[in-house]
Amino acid sequence: MIKISNLEKYYKTEEVQTIALNKLSFEIKEGEFAAIMGPSGCGKSTLLNILGLLDDPDGGSYLFNGIEVAGYNERKRAQLRKHNIGFVFQSFNLIDELSVFENVELPLIYTGVKTAERKERVHQVLEKMGIMHRRKHFPQQLSGGQQQRVAVARAVVNNPKLILADEPTGNLDSSNGNEVMDLLTELNEAGTTIIMVTHSEHDAKFSHRIIRMLDGQKVTENVLV
Amino acid sequence: MFRNYFKIAWRNLWNNKLFSLINVISLAIGLSASFVIGMMVYYDFTFDKFHTDGDRIYRVTTQFNDPEGDYFSSGIPFPLVDAVKNEVSGLETAAFFHQFTSVNVKPTGTKDLFKQQDFVVFTDQGYFDLFDYYWLAGSAQKTLSQPNEVVLTEARAKLYFPNLSPSQVMGKTLNYNDSIPAVVTGVVANFAERSDLVFQEFLSLDTASQTNIHHQISGNNWYGVYNSSQLWIKIEKGTLLNNFQAQLDDIAGKHQMEEDLKFGSSREFYSQPLNNLHFNSELGIYDPDKAVADKDVLTMLGLVAMFLLLLGCANFINLNTAQASKRAKEIGIRKTLGSSKGQLIFQFLGETFLLTLIAGAVSIILSMWLIRIFEDFIADGIDISLLMNPVILLSIGTLLVIVTIAAGFYPGIVLSKFNPVRVLKGKHTEAGGKNQLRKFLTVFQFTIAFVFIISTFLVGKQIGFLINKDMGFKTESVAFIETPHYVSSLADQELLSQKLANLSQLKKVSLGGQSPASFDQSATAFVSNYDGIERETSVRLLFGDTEYLDLYEIPLLAGRKPLNDTIKEVVINTKALEKMGFDDPNEAVNQTVTSGGVPYLITGVMADFNQGSLRKEIEPMAFVGDMWRSFSSAFQVIHFNISTENYEDLTTTLADVESMYKEVYPNEPIDLKFMDETILTFYKKEQSMSKLLNWAMGLSVLISCLGLLGLVIYTTERRVKEIGIRKVLGASIVQINTLLCKDFVILIFIAFVIAIPIAYWALDNWLQDFANRTELSWWIFAGSGIAMILLALIIMSIRTIATAMADPVKSLRTE
Repeated sequence: MIKISNLEKYYKTEEVQTIALNKLSFEIKEGEFAAIMGPSGCGKSTLLNILGLLDDPDGGSYLFNGIEVAGYNERKRAQLRKHNIGFVFQSFNLIDELSVFENVELPLIYTGVKTAERKERVHQVLEKMGIMHRRKHFPQQLSGGQQQRVAVARAVVNNPKLILADEPTGNLDSSNGNEVMDLLTELNEAGTTIIMVTHSEHDAKFSHRIIRMLDGQKVTENVLV
Repeated sequence: MFRNYFKIAWRNLWNNKLFSLINVISLAIGLSASFVIGMMVYYDFTFDKFHTDGDRIYRVTTQFNDPEGDYFSSGIPFPLVDAVKNEVSGLETAAFFHQFTSVNVKPTGTKDLFKQQDFVVFTDQGYFDLFDYYWLAGSAQKTLSQPNEVVLTEARAKLYFPNLSPSQVMGKTLNYNDSIPAVVTGVVANFAERSDLVFQEFLSLDTASQTNIHHQISGNNWYGVYNSSQLWIKIEKGTLLNNFQAQLDDIAGKHQMEEDLKFGSSREFYSQPLNNLHFNSELGIYDPDKAVADKDVLTMLGLVAMFLLLLGCANFINLNTAQASKRAKEIGIRKTLGSSKGQLIFQFLGETFLLTLIAGAVSIILSMWLIRIFEDFIADGIDISLLMNPVILLSIGTLLVIVTIAAGFYPGIVLSKFNPVRVLKGKHTEAGGKNQLRKFLTVFQFTIAFVFIISTFLVGKQIGFLINKDMGFKTESVAFIETPHYVSSLADQELLSQKLANLSQLKKVSLGGQSPASFDQSATAFVSNYDGIERETSVRLLFGDTEYLDLYEIPLLAGRKPLNDTIKEVVINTKALEKMGFDDPNEAVNQTVTSGGVPYLITGVMADFNQGSLRKEIEPMAFVGDMWRSFSSAFQVIHFNISTENYEDLTTTLADVESMYKEVYPNEPIDLKFMDETILTFYKKEQSMSKLLNWAMGLSVLISCLGLLGLVIYTTERRVKEIGIRKVLGASIVQINTLLCKDFVILIFIAFVIAIPIAYWALDNWLQDFANRTELSWWIFAGSGIAMILLALIIMSIRTIATAMADPVKSLRTE
């Protein structure tokens, strides 16, 4: 599903150039659950942003479903992203001014789903995540675990082929963290490809394969299943 | 999607109540000013738009070209009517009418007497051929062909015969000025749309021969031009106006007065388009109580509205770009979820529109209030119901969209540009360019505010200067009564004058023409022959008896007063003295000048005094007795000087004056004015302008300061951690306050520096219109600058001191 080869990314300031990704290559198959680990600053989040088409690589190739997307402009990236990729962030990133229902509904609005269908699909996913009773609440009225469930619900409401999770349990206690990991496992078992960036060895064990990075390069790869 | 946008827009407005309030107030002020001024423009531009072929209708007017300046009359000499009708080709219709002012009307068979009725004209069928009236009774054909016929409008018919229908009014008789009967032969509907053709009663032209103005509309006098004599024409379809003008020029050429040509004067006729009638102050309109619309005033008001609106937009842009960081996360998320830039811009425009709409609703309420404040500028016909007019509604809608784009587009662009990766990491740094724009807009706002402040002070200073400047004659405790000369005789005036002279409270009483400074003016030309050079000098005439000059304390520089009221003697002022070629007052005394061939002896020279608004230069003037008494007496005003000992008991004095007036004119209301109050009326326009400027200043300062407050709140919120650290390190409140205010004060100072030359240029231009002007003093500029900067400092300090005094532990902990 995803194949990156010799992917490069630099950050430049006036005086220094930092290499975030240094000719990184790997492949992720459809239905896989991969964890990316490494110390802070090793390029994990940069990688995830490029995979999520939020950022451009400076070199190398990125094939998404066999199509080269490395040179896509912002409009094309937005198109591809909204139909294929769901995001789960460490800090949840819910819109504070919107209710739980409205936050989850948002991706459907951007993909042009009709009102009645939107309502049905949001209700389905909220029930699945066990937060239906919170649908009228606003993010700041929810606990961290509940907020992350809303974020997961929002990530999956469009039935994306790929979910990118950036330290999804980083802001949660262990029991809420486990719940979120269970949710991701369920989604993966239902066929969604998941790539997760994490610091937690515990969370990484939920995945099929752990890719370890250092200084923008892959150092090891452990297959768990 | 719209619902979602609307929801988030509404919640955003609600969650940022203070900023929303600032934005709504700022925009509402500009919008309401625009609404009101838009209504005024619409109102003034929709006069007489309904006439069939209105674009082919013109009024023929007269222009006098004179070496001392051209002057204009909306009237024409009577023989021109026949000349145009008989000699000119390319005309479809020509209509003549002559205004018959202040007429007493008595419907026969009733006890009612309607005094001083206005809007009565003598005319014929041509008038109704030219202008479309709807006939409720009678018809346009064969109307007004006989003497003693009258056509009434429905309104007048109702006034005179309240219980009769138009057809029942037909055949009824009205008695004009107790002597001229006229039978109603038609009733027309009043115009349903706005019109300056305000006439209500149409007497047949032939009836005029029975009145005292018969000489004005008969005979072959090409030299008498009466404003009341009006000629309207409609040119044939496809005919050029130039063609008509060429024929008018021919006629004018044939009938020039040789005497005029000798002194370099001439007379021409010009066609004034119907659509110019409402706007030409030189030619005027027919309703003396209504002001001619002034395109300059409309432009000035339009500019004020535009600036206020721009200030509101600037606040919006400033506050929204400043607050952008608050919305960065939302934008990052939306972008991550697939929103395009266009969708985001559209969303923000939608939000701006919602806010503009709220401001629009608020401004409708404000408009009602503004209409009252600016009533000096606003015609009576304008009220808030005009907002329901489809054209106005459409214009308001368009304005709201324009404001939305002007205010919302740039913040939309800025917000939609956020990089989702950076903002979701919490790194939403501000681009330097945005800050530059914010600085620019702040400077722009305060520049406008400064220009308004400086202008307000200067205009106030000029008005004070005009009002307080010595007019050159006595203005305190002098009053005058305009007698009802249209119903009375000179004997009545003389009787009242004598009665008043016996009142002990009055020091001096004089019978004469208008007061030394007046809107009403008479003029004539004196031909002098001094040093062998024949000169013609136009002079304003001041009529009065032998007491007049003493009463007004107008000093004589040489010679003496005329010996009596009717003797052919004049006293000229210094300006006239110079024009007539005399070097010294004593040279002029005992010289003779002629007017219309009649010799007048110059018996004295009086000092110059101002004859009206000090905006104007002093004109050549001659004090005379009742020089045209045999023709028509000018002694219509009784002036008196109340002795100062009796001034405390003014009410009693005035009551005594009134009771004497009633003895002479039992049925006429008294028209008494004080000289000093009359002088104030000369500056109505300036005072209206001053009032407008006061408001423009207040509102522009308010909007700018609101914007400043918003920016200060934003800045202090953003720098709360820095302030905490500085306090921990030992900074004092004053130091922190200085730190927070410094940048803004610099911007305001830059605005001040930019405003000085703009205000100087504009005000210097404005002052050039005044013959007497105050100085553009440096202290007005300095005072305005200091006042504005102080005000800004106070407003900023409200917030910055609170921030500076906050416990640093708190702010550092929350970080």
